[in-house]
Amino acid sequence: MTGLDVVFVLVALFTAGAAVLTVTSKNLVHAALSLAATLAGTAGVFLVLHADFLALVQLVVNVGAVAVLFLFGLMLTRAPIGREALDSQNRGLGLAVAGGLFVLLSGLIIAAFGTTTVEQVTGASIEVIGIAIFADWVLPFELLSMLLLAALIGAIMLARRETGESGEEAMVTRIDVGDTPTTEGGVRAELENTTPAGQLGAGGDR
Amino acid sequence: MSLVGPLLLATFLFCVGIYGVIARRNAVLVLISVELMLNAVNINLVAFQNLLFPDELAVSGLMFALFIIGVAAAEVGVGLAIVFNMFRNRASVNVDDVDLMRW
Amino acid sequence: MEALLDYAWLVVVLPLASAVAITAFGKNLPWKGSELGIASLAISWVLSVLIAYQTFIMSPMEEPVEFSYEWAPMGSEFVFELGMLVDGLTAVMLLLVTTVSLMVHIYSREYMHGEKRFTYFFAMLSLFTFSMLLLVIANNLVQAVVGWELVGVCSYLLIGFYWEEKSNQDAANKAFLTTKFADIGLIVGVVVLSAGMFGLDTSTPFNIREINAAATAGELSTTTVVLGMLMIFLGCMAKSGQMPLHVWLPDAMAGPTPVSALIHAATMVTAGVFVLARLFPVLAQSLVVMNVIAVVGVITLFFGGLLALVQDDIKKVLAYSTVSQLGYMVAAIGVGGYTASVFHLFTHGFFKALLFLGAGSLIHAVHSNNMSDMGGMAKAMPYTFVTFIIGTLALAGFPLTAGFFSKDEILIAGEIWAGAGFATGHLVYWVGIAAAFVTTFYMARACFLIFAGESRSHHPPHESGKQMVGPLVVLAVLSIASGYIFSPVWTAEQNFETWTETEFITEETVYPFAADADDAAEDQGEAVGTPGGIQGDGVLAAGSEPSVLAAAEDGELTVLHGAPTWHFDLLALLLVVFFAAVGVAWKFYGKGPPDRDPTMQMGRVTTVLVNKYGFDEFGYRFIVVPVRDTMSRAASYSSNVLIDGAVSGVGRMTKNAAFATYRVLDQKVIDGGVNGAAFSAAWWSERLKRTQSGNVQRYAAALVAGTIVLVVAFAAAT
Repeated sequence: MTGLDVVFVLVALFTAGAAVLTVTSKNLVHAALSLAATLAGTAGVFLVLHADFLALVQLVVNVGAVAVLFLFGLMLTRAPIGREALDSQNRGLGLAVAGGLFVLLSGLIIAAFGTTTVEQVTGASIEVIGIAIFADWVLPFELLSMLLLAALIGAIMLARRETGESGEEAMVTRIDVGDTPTTEGGVRAELENTTPAGQLGAGGDR
Repeated sequence: MSLVGPLLLATFLFCVGIYGVIARRNAVLVLISVELMLNAVNINLVAFQNLLFPDELAVSGLMFALFIIGVAAAEVGVGLAIVFNMFRNRASVNVDDVDLMRW
Repeated sequence: MEALLDYAWLVVVLPLASAVAITAFGKNLPWKGSELGIASLAISWVLSVLIAYQTFIMSPMEEPVEFSYEWAPMGSEFVFELGMLVDGLTAVMLLLVTTVSLMVHIYSREYMHGEKRFTYFFAMLSLFTFSMLLLVIANNLVQAVVGWELVGVCSYLLIGFYWEEKSNQDAANKAFLTTKFADIGLIVGVVVLSAGMFGLDTSTPFNIREINAAATAGELSTTTVVLGMLMIFLGCMAKSGQMPLHVWLPDAMAGPTPVSALIHAATMVTAGVFVLARLFPVLAQSLVVMNVIAVVGVITLFFGGLLALVQDDIKKVLAYSTVSQLGYMVAAIGVGGYTASVFHLFTHGFFKALLFLGAGSLIHAVHSNNMSDMGGMAKAMPYTFVTFIIGTLALAGFPLTAGFFSKDEILIAGEIWAGAGFATGHLVYWVGIAAAFVTTFYMARACFLIFAGESRSHHPPHESGKQMVGPLVVLAVLSIASGYIFSPVWTAEQNFETWTETEFITEETVYPFAADADDAAEDQGEAVGTPGGIQGDGVLAAGSEPSVLAAAEDGELTVLHGAPTWHFDLLALLLVVFFAAVGVAWKFYGKGPPDRDPTMQMGRVTTVLVNKYGFDEFGYRFIVVPVRDTMSRAASYSSNVLIDGAVSGVGRMTKNAAFATYRVLDQKVIDGGVNGAAFSAAWWSERLKRTQSGNVQRYAAALVAGTIVLVVAFAAAT
């Protein structure tokens, strides 16, 4: 039990606790915030493991962007806060499966690595990482950029409002989706009442 | 430093994620749980890289972790877009309402 | 000329090319694509005729022409090939398939005129022909299975041609599923045979020649032969409409009539018999397999024929007659009548195509399938009438028609088999004769109902056009002429038997079990009738030429029986059977004016016998007057009750037996079994579908749980 272990156990306890909160919280916003805490805890774990660069990336991308994205997601879908049960009837099933998997995996891990210890933890310097990215991993790296671009376009295509006519897409920026989520007719009626902001082209298939 | 600690933490996070995916009704919460699982994998990768193979020049473990973070960001973007679409079409984000594919 | 055999693949490829071409731009052509189908089939037909001629004059062929290229080499011995194997058997089938198909193509031009899917129909016809040719020319079993399945698919598409009606869809599904069920057997059988070939010195385990060679050399184990051939026979049972898997055949009448002709004569039902003939050297290794085949064939040939008695739909009568005739072929295979079976396949193809096309001509004229809507068609449709009668005579085996030579060959084969001491030979012989009675009876009944009497049609009947009559005439000529190629009037040097000889079925080929049993029987002195010793001459063949009884010469039973000779005892027996059947049919169905119907002239002998007025007249004048009270009553009794009763009793019994077979065996047992399977599937699916809740999370949980179980299971296993 070295000092590093003690630090790790503390960080790990924080992370695990936040993770449990994430999946048990009755409040949606609390759950998202707990996720942010878990991600931050993971960044801490990376630090303990001497992966400084990764910890920073984790903080910037996951805690900074993804967690906020989730908060926006919760807000835009007007999720009921605390009023409705957030757990489905599959709770017992989930508990059993997750518990079983945990018992199985932890047993395997302890059996395999139970006694492995490392004297000196060393992490790769940012210089090494940079060389690795642009020498060994340059093709996957470029592919990742393509993937992100595709995801960007895909997300826009999926999320924008469909009207069926080209050039009548001015409502994309209107965040009135879900203002009248009761019936389809309501949305339809609202659509018909809304005058399109600009007639860029008449008709035609997209 | 012992290797088993990070691995057990990763396992725990992964199982908590699985529980969340199975037990949560809200689609956004399901996505959050998926995010937990991806992070657990990252911890595993980093732990193996820095504790067992610190001298590897290509730093595969760290690279994989980086790529997973990137892919996870993309996944969250598309996933949330799908959830919005579902919300707009069905006025609900509950995954157990979406059972068109049943018998 | 000999180089021509190397180009036999052209026969197969041309219909495929025309199918593709018709699909691609058939609709834009002046004849809507039919000219492509007819042209390609005509070229194929010419090639087939030349190939058939070449193989015929070369026969017996020492070495077949084989050619193949590796389609999917999958490792040292494991090669899928695409190839061709041309010998006499292939040539016979090529000739049969292309001839019938060409006739059907020409016929369909007029018959299908004005159909909205005219082009589609011709594309499918060409594809159907291609599939069958692919099977026929295959040099390996995998290619044969591919062709076999393609035949199934095409038949499905064509039976369901009028898919707007639900019943037609159901018929297509029934045909497809029934044959598909049995195809499992075929595939398993192919796998078993090929598995048995591994380890032997072969280029690929699927090559038919090498399988036959290994079987003849006794290198295949008994298990391989018995299991493999029984499984393949299961496939053949459904494809060739053997009981109890014949159920799809009558329903297949839902398709257009030219399709029925094609299915029943050339492209579909012949596939099973062809495969049995192709693998005859393998199945001849095992008496068990041959007995099973013989018994199934005998059951089919008799009960299948009975079913035809009670049908009103002309096409169904013909369908059941096909079932019955296929029973003859299969039974012939089972009693060692290799040549007889292929010969009957050959002649049957022509006269059954003729009958179906004739029926199509009738249906075209009266717009109804039912014989009760016909009647008196002889005058209105002279060409159809004459050709139909020729087809009927050939089917009934009337002397000097093609069916006579081929069917008698089967009966003689049964006789020789019985003479060798195998009980199934007697079965085939006697049941075959009984079924000949049934066949004649129902065909006579059909002819009386259609052609005799007054017209009952709602439309004035008219003769069909040239494009329909032409094929009828051609097929009618072939229905008579094709039989002479293997008849006593033909030369003994080259005849149908030498033609269909392959390198494994030659004059010296004997049955291994017969030789073994012969030795064993000599030791133990077994009795006639048990499978075992070969004893003396045949049952009825005692007066015939010894060369026919191959068994009698040196005590060895050969596969080939030698050139045919006259069997006047059998001829006489069959003639009696024929006239008796026609007479009984006339008694029941020939109520029309007798001077109009030439068929009734042949039944006059019988007619006079059953005519009770003639008997009464005779009795009154010579017996009643002297001994009025006693003898008149006796005479009246004898004519009214005894003779009439006997005659109508036979008829009624036959009819009742047929009805009982139809109701109990066909409708209850077989249909019930099929329906039961469907119901139990529905019952289970009703319960099992609950697992498909549509709840994604449950699926995810099941996924993870399954992974856990798998890991634990593998951990426990290691």
